Amino acid sequence: MSEPIPVPPDHDAPAPGTTPDPAGEVARLGAMVDRALTRLEETSAFAKQTARGPLLDIAGRLLAKPGGAQALYDRAARIEASGVFHATDWDHPEILQPSLATGTLAHADRPTATLELLSELRMLSIAQGDLLHPRISSEQAQHFLAQLLALNLNRLFGAQAEAERSNATLNAAIRNLVGFIAERIGYGEILACLSTEIDRILAQRPIMVDDVKLMVTRIAACLHDPGINSGGGGLGAARLVSALFGPTAGCREDPGLAVYRERLETLDDSALQQEARAFARAMHDTGLVSAYHPVFLRHVSALERGDLLGQALGLSSTGTEAFSCYAGLVYSLIDAAITPDTTQAVYGLALLLERGLLFDPAIGPALWGHIGLEPCPTAAQTLTAAFGDRQSPATLLLAGTISVLGQPLGIGQGNNPTCQAARALSMWALAAPDYLLHLLTRAARDHNITMVFEGQRLSSAALSAGLAPTPPIDVDPVSVVLVPHLDRLYIEMGRLCADRPGDPHAWVNSAMHGWWVGQDTALAVDLNTGGLAGDADRFVRLFHGLYHPLYNGNKPVTHPQPAGIAVTDSVGRFIGWHAISILRVGLGPSGEMRIYFYNPNYDGGQDWGHDVVVSTDSNGERFGESSLPFDRFAARLYLFHYDACEEGHTDAVPDDAVTAILDMARATWAAPRAGAA
Amino acid sequence: MAEKNPDKGYVALLGWSLGAIDAAERFDRRYVVVAPDWAESYCTENNIPYVPWNFERLNERSMEIAEKLKDMGVDVAIPLFEETVEWAGAINSVIQGNPRLHGQAILFRDKALMKRRAQLGGIRVGIFEEAHDRGDVIRFLKRVNQTLLKLDGDPNDPIHIKAFDKAGCLGHRVIRTADDIDTIPDEEFPVLMESHLDGWEFAVEAWIHNGKVQFLNISEYVTLGYSVFVPASPELESWRPRVEQEVEKLIKTFDIENGFIHPEYFVTSDGTMYFGEVAFRPPGFKVFELLERAYGFNGYQGLIVCFDPKSTDEEIAAFFPKEVVDATTHAGCFGVYPRRRVVSDLDIPEETENHPYFESHELTAPMENKVTKRSAFGTHWGLIYFVGEDPTTMRDLLKHQEELDFYV
Repeated sequence: MSEPIPVPPDHDAPAPGTTPDPAGEVARLGAMVDRALTRLEETSAFAKQTARGPLLDIAGRLLAKPGGAQALYDRAARIEASGVFHATDWDHPEILQPSLATGTLAHADRPTATLELLSELRMLSIAQGDLLHPRISSEQAQHFLAQLLALNLNRLFGAQAEAERSNATLNAAIRNLVGFIAERIGYGEILACLSTEIDRILAQRPIMVDDVKLMVTRIAACLHDPGINSGGGGLGAARLVSALFGPTAGCREDPGLAVYRERLETLDDSALQQEARAFARAMHDTGLVSAYHPVFLRHVSALERGDLLGQALGLSSTGTEAFSCYAGLVYSLIDAAITPDTTQAVYGLALLLERGLLFDPAIGPALWGHIGLEPCPTAAQTLTAAFGDRQSPATLLLAGTISVLGQPLGIGQGNNPTCQAARALSMWALAAPDYLLHLLTRAARDHNITMVFEGQRLSSAALSAGLAPTPPIDVDPVSVVLVPHLDRLYIEMGRLCADRPGDPHAWVNSAMHGWWVGQDTALAVDLNTGGLAGDADRFVRLFHGLYHPLYNGNKPVTHPQPAGIAVTDSVGRFIGWHAISILRVGLGPSGEMRIYFYNPNYDGGQDWGHDVVVSTDSNGERFGESSLPFDRFAARLYLFHYDACEEGHTDAVPDDAVTAILDMARATWAAPRAGAA
Repeated sequence: MAEKNPDKGYVALLGWSLGAIDAAERFDRRYVVVAPDWAESYCTENNIPYVPWNFERLNERSMEIAEKLKDMGVDVAIPLFEETVEWAGAINSVIQGNPRLHGQAILFRDKALMKRRAQLGGIRVGIFEEAHDRGDVIRFLKRVNQTLLKLDGDPNDPIHIKAFDKAGCLGHRVIRTADDIDTIPDEEFPVLMESHLDGWEFAVEAWIHNGKVQFLNISEYVTLGYSVFVPASPELESWRPRVEQEVEKLIKTFDIENGFIHPEYFVTSDGTMYFGEVAFRPPGFKVFELLERAYGFNGYQGLIVCFDPKSTDEEIAAFFPKEVVDATTHAGCFGVYPRRRVVSDLDIPEETENHPYFESHELTAPMENKVTKRSAFGTHWGLIYFVGEDPTTMRDLLKHQEELDFYV
């Protein structure tokens, strides 16, 4: 054997490919996507991650080409079915959040961001009715996309940021996709749809409105862009924009805080009164507080102009009365907590006064105590991590305290598994505000709170972490400080009665929340099977006898009562157990008996399937309440507390009403589950 | 999950490889994964048949796993990694009642023993020696260059040193000067030293059943440690008859009945073929993926069908395609090493991303900004895959990637 060794030809650089025609490129990359999809489809579920990479890489390149989004949209059903989302958060579209998705697009690496984009395409397909998804409805997908568009309007209209240039393919892909979604939904409708979406969330008056503010900011930028015809949709949006950026004549053109501060010096009394009323109107209309509002409040507070202050807070006679009795305290609260970085506390302060909370003999002194409260280093650090360092931790916490006392139903759990803790905070803010202030002092100052469980003292500082692995930071300041402690105590109490037969909530809930929680517990679920318990019939009757005015002797609910809900998705499948509190029971505007309750989720408007759609406004709800017709609520309820001596006419409940409720439960959360023994 | 053939026994996969498990799941053999206990929860959650085992050194408990697998009805244990080759030999010697299988496995695990055995079988190997310290290396470097009639001051011909028992490029260093020798850490000794062969290096993957080659692939290295593609170019494929003869010698010398080998060869400028080394496990550099892309068959399923003594000739004939002619395309990959000392970002060059042969990449953004100096043939940062019709374009394209920055 002596043939010569072939020497590879020595031309190094291949001829650079000439730019091929876009349609051909889309077809070529489309074929590669198909091949990658086939491979992913063939791969076993447990090994999907080994075949996901090529699809994400190629799909990212395809999306960056003109026409690429359409090509992938046509494959949306196949992409969803291929298992690309398997074993990731995206496999549960019902838990995805527009603000987190926006963060992923902006900051994640390219494969993760591309996965997010594919999820968005799938959402669009669901929203358009082209794809049916078992866990998320078309409406939910529309809500998601509307919010996502609002948060990414800069990608749609804005100039390309410098940071976007460095990652050209990914950013081209994101722009193309956001544009594609906007086109499908229709540019004209986007702004209107966005402001409806924002209105819907604001109607629940959450304490945390950072996401809403960001969306409004993006809308404002669009409204000021002459290149965009906002159509009729601009009207509702303009109302939100002005509430944030120019609610009064004195700041209509958004002059900046320093200019406005100077301008206030020159205004005469009647002009100041107009400013005050306009601030109050915008705030109570939307639940949003402009940054100019604190400037105005601090100004009139320094002058001790109680009349202007009352007008700027929009106080009724109750609030005015409370203010005039405690003017010194209110001035001090404003001085210590109300700043342009803590604007929402203005709304909290107004509602706190309106609730007449200051007439409670313990609240005034407790609040004086909180004005001087310095959070310990750990709490201070968490507060700074969550809200930045423009204001001192003490200011942030006091502002949060005012918000919580003013808006007990505005507390949310954020993206954390701590519904129990959020519910407890809300309950105390409503029914035991002095206790809440007491716990908050201990947690903030000593980084420790103590509770007594069946005679045993439990110290949160001595316990290991609870359900949330890290302290939540996407929630209000009071939750940031208190939730880690409550979470740990709650878990510890559960642990102490883990080996008892029955549901641990029977012992934990009354010990944890307060004397008003009923000492007896009714449970509709068989803990072993997850199905209905044998005496579920009795459960439903009992619930009527305790809570339904026609069967309980017309007794109103006096205190928020903790209860457990079996949450189901929009097709009625079981998702998980969720903590809520029952607030009141009464006739809705159309004459049906409704239960009004507090749901610690940020957005209470949820479709639980099988015609159980939780309403958050227009059915007689007060701000922050969710409501359901009595029977629908009963069909998702699995645990509640009561005192046996209060039992009403349980036998009078008609059999068919009981049967109907149990049937609804059996058809949904109590249906035999795959994998259940 | 594929329909399982009840007439066959079980195969055991030694080591954790999701790709291999997935292939087994989709094949008609019943299987069990033998892996360390950290894999347990994943297997339980995903219903993957699993036996926990920690592959430390063989010890008095080794019999336990062999008996256990035998009792389960396992017909053969298949090694997926260098570290499980000896285990597979030991287990198979028990399962199949053939004590020689263990001795055979040890030959594959020790590169010096392997070369000596090959030499005994009449296979041509380069000059090699074992080194226990740096003095040994200095002597070997001098002696090799004396043999080559080099004068003092002439640049030395390099020598290669490799760990005895590591896969692929791990611990592989090229030594030219005494300074290079100083960079070898103490803990790497003992090592195997080899003279450098100037020529064309390539690898072979051979699936063997009943002592016969069932499928033989030649993997063309464009640059060793950087790039490979399959099927090889017509120039390299013209060596196929010689390669087949050499592989048959290996089968005979190492007494291989069923299994898979992955030898490396050199062809020097005078047309002599030298044997480099051989491994008894799947190759690195995702060659199985490239083969699947080019031919459409799954290399791991090929392992199962060849290792399984109960496989029939018809089954095997139906499984494998015909070499070269059945390939629909050429598939290649390039292992990226950062060229700069300090990098902050991943940036695929446009000319690569827009090349019609470019398929996908598995590079990730840099975790650290400072790039460690590549003293040995270190591990690449990720692979880039190309697919195309023309082997010459493929070879040039892969070569050209070496001049591009993927990390900036």
